Amino acid sequence: MLKDFQKIGRDLFLSGLNSSHSGNLSVRYGDRIVITRRGSMLGHLEERDLIETGLAKNDSKIILASTEIGVHRAIYKGTSALAVVHAHPVHAIALSLLEDQIIPVDSEGAYLLHKIPVIGAEHTIGSKELENILPGLLSEYKIVMVRGHGSFAVGQMIEEAYQWTSCLEQVCRIICLTRSLHGEMKEKRFEKFTSW
Amino acid sequence: MDLYGWFGKALRVNLSTGVIKEEEIEKTLMMDWLGGRGLGTRMIYREVPAVCNPLGSENKLVFAAGPLTGSNFPGSGRFSVSAKSPLTGTIFDSNAGGTWGVRLKRCGFDMLIIEGAASTPVFLSIKDGAASLEDAGELWGNDVFETNHKIISILGKDVSVACIGPAGENQVKFAAIMNDAHRALGRGGLGAVMGAKKIKAVVVSGNKKVRVAHPEKMDLMVYESDKWIQASPITSKGLPEFGTPVLVNLFNELGVFPSYNFQGSQFANAGKISGEAIAETIYAGRKGCYRCPVQCTRMVKIGASTIPGPEYESLWALGPECGIDDLTVIAEANNLCNQLGLDTISTGVTIGCAMELEERGLLKTGLKFNDAVGLLRAIKQIASREGVGDLLAEGSRRMADSSGFSQYSMQVKGLELPAYDPRGMQGMGLGFATSNRGGCHLSAYMVGPEALGVPKMVDRFSTGGKAGLTITQQNINAAVDSLIICRFINLAVSEEYFARALSAATGVDYRPQDLHRIGERIWTLERLYNLQAGLDSSFDTLPPRLLEEPIAEGPSLGKTVELKPMLAEYYRFRGWDAAGIPTSKKLQELELEEYSC
Repeated sequence: MLKDFQKIGRDLFLSGLNSSHSGNLSVRYGDRIVITRRGSMLGHLEERDLIETGLAKNDSKIILASTEIGVHRAIYKGTSALAVVHAHPVHAIALSLLEDQIIPVDSEGAYLLHKIPVIGAEHTIGSKELENILPGLLSEYKIVMVRGHGSFAVGQMIEEAYQWTSCLEQVCRIICLTRSLHGEMKEKRFEKFTSW
Repeated sequence: MDLYGWFGKALRVNLSTGVIKEEEIEKTLMMDWLGGRGLGTRMIYREVPAVCNPLGSENKLVFAAGPLTGSNFPGSGRFSVSAKSPLTGTIFDSNAGGTWGVRLKRCGFDMLIIEGAASTPVFLSIKDGAASLEDAGELWGNDVFETNHKIISILGKDVSVACIGPAGENQVKFAAIMNDAHRALGRGGLGAVMGAKKIKAVVVSGNKKVRVAHPEKMDLMVYESDKWIQASPITSKGLPEFGTPVLVNLFNELGVFPSYNFQGSQFANAGKISGEAIAETIYAGRKGCYRCPVQCTRMVKIGASTIPGPEYESLWALGPECGIDDLTVIAEANNLCNQLGLDTISTGVTIGCAMELEERGLLKTGLKFNDAVGLLRAIKQIASREGVGDLLAEGSRRMADSSGFSQYSMQVKGLELPAYDPRGMQGMGLGFATSNRGGCHLSAYMVGPEALGVPKMVDRFSTGGKAGLTITQQNINAAVDSLIICRFINLAVSEEYFARALSAATGVDYRPQDLHRIGERIWTLERLYNLQAGLDSSFDTLPPRLLEEPIAEGPSLGKTVELKPMLAEYYRFRGWDAAGIPTSKKLQELELEEYSC
């Protein structure tokens, strides 16, 4: 398990989806959860950085767990996910400040994600509000953006949740680049996904 | 002069003459030393000769609130008491929560100085700024709970009582001052100083409003701080749900949870006495201090009684340190210490030391590890100084010295060590060795960086960089103890917030680096006092067991504290000479030239 966390954590950092100490990863097994340690560096995870605690029940390890443990737990309780990746992809965050939903304009993004909801909350870090909102959305969508904060992606394994995260950022970079060209788009064939 | 945050007033009570008078505190003094520990340190340095007998009339007790005490800032319901310690001979501050500090402030005082000694027992009553000394003849001999109950039944529910029990009256060297019945200014034997002065209690009640200079800025800091407290799993989940015993399993797994007088670094039955075990067995609710969102106190049910449960340190000292793994016994022992007015850490560690000396055949104490009956009996004997209790009441250092086996006393500068084996946390070892008040975990609180990842996780086995980190922690914590904010709040909220809150409260512009500088001045002044008292660098050390005996098993296997290189670096980084004496250059830099050792 450590190797999986290390591989994905390193890739998230190297691809710029997280800054040095941001983001967190978790997996669920049964009524337990393994989550990255609060303040750990995803690009340099060690054994001490993986914290195991209860899915529903706290124990002493809770004081070392990621600040987002509450959201991860809520997602597992409200969805069929077995892995969660939370990242801070910069282009996606930029777009989230302008949009209520992100519709991919590229084929790969549209094929994989269709539409990415953007939600706002007063408190975005360690937030009870997000614990209530995100599980419902993540049972319908693979990944959701929290405005000005970052993405939460679900999967059956960490690599899958990482894929949605990486794809989202790619989608958003393409949108940002396209907008920066100031031209008329020749095709808007994926706009139908607004009703996804 | 318009003052915010502070009232600029002190009350001075001379027990020898009975004279009580109000004094102005210069604004610059408060700006430089803030309150709490800072103001207390400055007063003790100025007014109490370093070479005096701590139990003589020359010693003074300085009760001090801080500029944030009584504000809406989270964790601000604290106050501190400073004096020369009878246990360590060092300058000493101890602080506690509850409501007492807020009520002192609402009397319109930032500080209360008690000097001299009464010829017969008295208690001090301060109500809305009016103070009087009252006869305490009827209260003398009463335990803490009885004293608290009797005073409240006479003066009403709107008072807070800080008092001593039999341990303080009998000048047990580690007697506590207890406030709000169960809150302890535990460490250092300040209760014995009260006992020697024959002052049984200080009762406060007031309605004065503490004025804040910029309420809107304070509101923002309160809002933001509460947000971070809610976001941190330590302050929003771990401590509220399990209390400080949340640390038991964690530290046991790391192999830094001492047992049997530090002979072991793990405890086989830690799971039976952990925070989780309390939650599943004897838990009966939680409580907190004034304006505390964390509420870390566990209420526990023992028989027909519901009482405050032991904190992490108490649970360890009265449990694994003495080989005890029964939660009920530990909770009873903790309650007994509160009732009699004893510091739980020093009590447990002194008894643990006596148990080891007995088992090694070095001293007849009649105490053995895992002897619950013996533990409870010893606590009572210590408080009353009966039988072997008279020797134990002197603390583990004096007790072990008496048998000629001082190496078995787990203390630094006479202060018994708390619940962390520093062999598995090198910075903790340096923090213990250099603490101005002796074997204290709170001065540096290296638990943060070495175990909890606050502000960031560092390698606990490494000695590199620990000197600088320890100094930074000691400095900022000295400032936090002067504001005065609960140590748990800065597990979630950084000093930037404290500086902004302080600025909002007082109207004086403070930046985070100002807090570090204030902390360094406090630390340095404490050091100068200790040097004057004869505590030179030879006291900056650890018990031989921690320096020479490697941990025998577990995750910290083979480790000892590598103190020497860390200490040399520590002196250099502090701007002290090789003998641990602050250089004149450093004193000049800190504008402390008028002080010297």
